[in-house]
Amino acid sequence: MAAVESGQPRAHGKGKKHKKRRLGVRVDMTPMVDVAFLLLTFFMLTTVFSKPQTMEITLPPDEKTTVEVAESNLLTLRIKADGAIYWNLGSEKPEPIAFKQLRPELLKRYYPELSGNEQGLLDVLNSKDPLEALKRYKPHPRLITLVKIDREGTYKMLVDIMDELNLANITRFSIAPMLDADKEALLKAGA
Amino acid sequence: MAAKKKPRVGIKMDMTPMVDVAFLLLTFFMLTTQFKPPESVQIDLPSSHSAFKLPESDVMIITVTKEGRIFLGVDQQQLRVRLFGEDFRLTASVEVESKNLTDLLVQARISNPKLRTVISGDIAAPYGVIEDVMNTLQKVKINRFNLVTELEKA
Repeated sequence: MAAVESGQPRAHGKGKKHKKRRLGVRVDMTPMVDVAFLLLTFFMLTTVFSKPQTMEITLPPDEKTTVEVAESNLLTLRIKADGAIYWNLGSEKPEPIAFKQLRPELLKRYYPELSGNEQGLLDVLNSKDPLEALKRYKPHPRLITLVKIDREGTYKMLVDIMDELNLANITRFSIAPMLDADKEALLKAGA
Repeated sequence: MAAKKKPRVGIKMDMTPMVDVAFLLLTFFMLTTQFKPPESVQIDLPSSHSAFKLPESDVMIITVTKEGRIFLGVDQQQLRVRLFGEDFRLTASVEVESKNLTDLLVQARISNPKLRTVISGDIAAPYGVIEDVMNTLQKVKINRFNLVTELEKA
């Protein structure tokens, strides 16, 4: 209710001109404030502060570019359709590896100083900012990772693997199609 | 002696400062709110530790659903009309055939060279489709693109 209070009842005089009294106008603000709070709650509850995150990839400019890599420096990760991960260095036999084990093992290969240093490895794995923690160690100069994912696999595998690689500060890796030859190699390895 | 009844005290508080603050907050939230654009497809994003933010404008989003269907979306209405026709002015993303993707991407890039490409795939999207999309991007010389993820709580 917007109650408008008049100051005092005006005295009625006859024929006399009255000086108008200043009216103390009081508007009841309650409904407006109610609405304001309602809107405030609405906006507070609907606001989304978090924008989606993204992961950046840069592909080599042309499909025909080839990079010569010594086989012994090539770390191949193969992911089967069911999500099983196999890895091998160079011409070794592909070995299964659990997703949880992937990052420690990658770190050991990429940072030779970490391979005998259990405490250092744990520190890196448990640190809040692994990239910062890794700055103390020298990476392997020539190791290249090749990621091959089965076409029947899911997108999540790609993102998970890339995330692990990023966390291990492995920024140079390539994504290659899984060929029949790769599948055969996996079969031979007893997968 | 009868105890004296205390007269009830009418408490009047000055609400003005509280209301002021409330309005301030209201204005803040009203001005900062961005309503989520209506999404034509439901996507469960995978999570990662990456901390890049999705750019606000000039983005072209390639959405891949669980079933492997591909949707292309751009944030500017003008470009939408040019790519898909007048009917799709207000449609956030339009389903495209894998074989048409190349042409559409080239057209979009010509119309707006600043466009950033973003792939937003469902967790369960088949990798084969993603691989095809990435090959297409490479073919049309979009070498830098982003994958949309959610921040992993860890």
